[in-house]
Amino acid sequence: MLQLASCRAVSRSLFSGRSSLLSAYARQRVGGALNEITKRGYAEVFSRKKPHMNIGTIGHVDHGKTTLTAAITKVLSSRGGAKFTDYSQIDKAPEEKARGITINSSHVEYETDNRHYGHIDCPGHADYIKNMITGAAQMDGAIIVVSATDGQMPQTREHLLLARQVGISRLVVFINKVDMISDPEMLELVDMEMRDLLSTYNFDGENTPIIMGSALAALEGRDDKIGAEKIVELTEACDTWLQLPPRDLEKPFLMPIEGGLSISGRGTVATGRVERGVATKGTDVEIIGYGSTLKTTVTGIEMFHKELDRAEAGDSMGALLRGIKREQIRRGQVLAAPGSIKAAKKFLAQLYVLTKDEGGRATPFVSNYRPQCFIRTADITVALTFPEGTPDADSKMVMPGDNVEMVCSLVFDIALEVGSR
Amino acid sequence: MSTMMMRFYSSAAPKVPVALIAELRKRTPVSLNKAREALLASNNSVESALSWLQKDNQTSGAQKALKLSSRQTSEGLVALSVLSHGAGLNAAGGLRAALVELNCETDFVARNDIFASLALSIAHTAAFISEPTPISTTTSLSTPNPTPTPPKFTKLDLTHLQEAPLLSHSSPGLSPNGTVQDAIRDAIVKVGENISLRRASSIIEDAPLSPVPSATSALRLAAYAHGGPAASCGRVASLALLALRTSTPSTLAKLIRTAAFRDNLTTLENSLARQICGFDTLSIRPQPTNESPEQALYEQPFIMLQGKFNGQPVSDALNKWSEEEGLVQEGEQGGIEVLDFVRWKVGEPDV
Repeated sequence: MLQLASCRAVSRSLFSGRSSLLSAYARQRVGGALNEITKRGYAEVFSRKKPHMNIGTIGHVDHGKTTLTAAITKVLSSRGGAKFTDYSQIDKAPEEKARGITINSSHVEYETDNRHYGHIDCPGHADYIKNMITGAAQMDGAIIVVSATDGQMPQTREHLLLARQVGISRLVVFINKVDMISDPEMLELVDMEMRDLLSTYNFDGENTPIIMGSALAALEGRDDKIGAEKIVELTEACDTWLQLPPRDLEKPFLMPIEGGLSISGRGTVATGRVERGVATKGTDVEIIGYGSTLKTTVTGIEMFHKELDRAEAGDSMGALLRGIKREQIRRGQVLAAPGSIKAAKKFLAQLYVLTKDEGGRATPFVSNYRPQCFIRTADITVALTFPEGTPDADSKMVMPGDNVEMVCSLVFDIALEVGSR
Repeated sequence: MSTMMMRFYSSAAPKVPVALIAELRKRTPVSLNKAREALLASNNSVESALSWLQKDNQTSGAQKALKLSSRQTSEGLVALSVLSHGAGLNAAGGLRAALVELNCETDFVARNDIFASLALSIAHTAAFISEPTPISTTTSLSTPNPTPTPPKFTKLDLTHLQEAPLLSHSSPGLSPNGTVQDAIRDAIVKVGENISLRRASSIIEDAPLSPVPSATSALRLAAYAHGGPAASCGRVASLALLALRTSTPSTLAKLIRTAAFRDNLTTLENSLARQICGFDTLSIRPQPTNESPEQALYEQPFIMLQGKFNGQPVSDALNKWSEEEGLVQEGEQGGIEVLDFVRWKVGEPDV
């Protein structure tokens, strides 16, 4: 690297170019800051009748994400499915961002005939990633907002990459501001370009619903054909195209073990809070983690010293296990439906490194950093390294505030699956 | 595609074939409406539409830029360009490097190639156009050999930089299309976000006309940028000026001709630049204004340096490194020293 670079040589080669410049422009800069007002409301009683789904809007700053969100609440509120939330209530206060601790997203909720939606909107890429990793607001689906006047923009690429990164497999596209376009063929072009781009980034470009309308028209209550009707169409597309994440009760049984005790005359009991699924007396389970995979059967379930025949997601329970000694179970293992989950020692994870303000480290770390890793009830040392093939992995560093993908090697194996947090 | 071509003949209104709009948009990122306007004005010729767009950018682009100019830009990139690293094989080379911060509204844009390449080109331009600061020598007549004061990082005048022709970082031989300001305006039109050039700093020292084999000191630059979409740009970046000092001229000249020493020096430089970036480094040596001792580079544990000096305080590690490399004998003055550095983080309050 120690190169014999001479500035003079560089100068000479560039000077001809410099002199060919014809015109220069006066500088025009206007300073200023945005001032927004915030209000926050809290819902009263949450109804669980409809399945819930978190949905986010992603798009360029000027393409009308906020208008669309406001329009959705307005249109649905006329049908009793939402509380109308105006722009000023959606946009968050700048000081919230300045504090840096708050997860930067605005939350709005609404209901369609079939579902209840939580609506997330974040200003930037890093915010969405942080939300996903911390689990503050997982997006199950997203609406990409594109203005018909601009079409997709260079950063639409980044928007789709983000959706991929946060694990969204299906999107709905809303082409906004169609009332500003006179030529219907232009809309076809936006449609075509969007489908092309979706396919490029491994989304189903062919079947992704693309709805064209005007969020502003819907918000102002004019031109129902491109306004309110399109908003309804959009929410219907969300209902049908975006897939609900499976609910905890429908998933295979899993309970992280918090502790174990032996009851003389009965056997060993594992205690913990059921993370998902349902267990009944007689359910076959596996004890997984710390090098063991033991098959056993739940012979009894107790909650608050009372016997039960069924425990489901969210319940704290003690499970009496057939033929298991107290020494065979320990905190950090899981009880799981046989074959539903495997133990692993090494995994690839997306990390967000908390900044000092967020309660994290103040200094960077390098490959082979060994922090404590908390997975469910387990507490294990983990070594972090860069994925194989990373250039200069030895001298690469990770700074607070970064989000990176790293290989985590645990000291012991622990029950893990794709998507574990 | 062919069905679309057919369709446009069927209508009487001033029509622009969508296929051409699509074609134009593939060539340059331009909004749909603009693409249509351009083709309409240039008789549906993609080539002349491109030049029409370029002209239009100067007028309507300026309006667009003005419209967005009041919006806050707190995301972006710090980009750096090192054209000349300093002392090389001939034991004395010039220094020429610059650092710029370019801001935009969202980190989506900051991650985009268009933006990153603009930031890098501006850094390149800044490094290229900067003049060396007037060399002032310590004019003490009693010393026969006046030691020149080392160059310092100098803030660039942004108006001057914005009016300079933009030199492409990827193909420096290319003659520029316009000024830095034009390029920023074009990018604003492309991404539809406000973009502003916040600050620029450079360090320049021209190489002596002939290498000085008798020198006992040499200057080097170390640079690193962290967390960017491309090399040499990121959320945080640092440029550091280092001095190598020996007691005898022959030692320095000999070392610098050794490939192993040069490799080790490069490793150390990279580690130092990373160290400055990674920590919240405010000064080289402890300052009363620092909140914690680790804000002084020399007090930090040198975690970025691999090998046996890893984790030792930076000052100790540098001394031991100098001894081990034979730059100085034990107990001797000199060795490697950090003279000055700049560490910029996107969106931080200016100091």
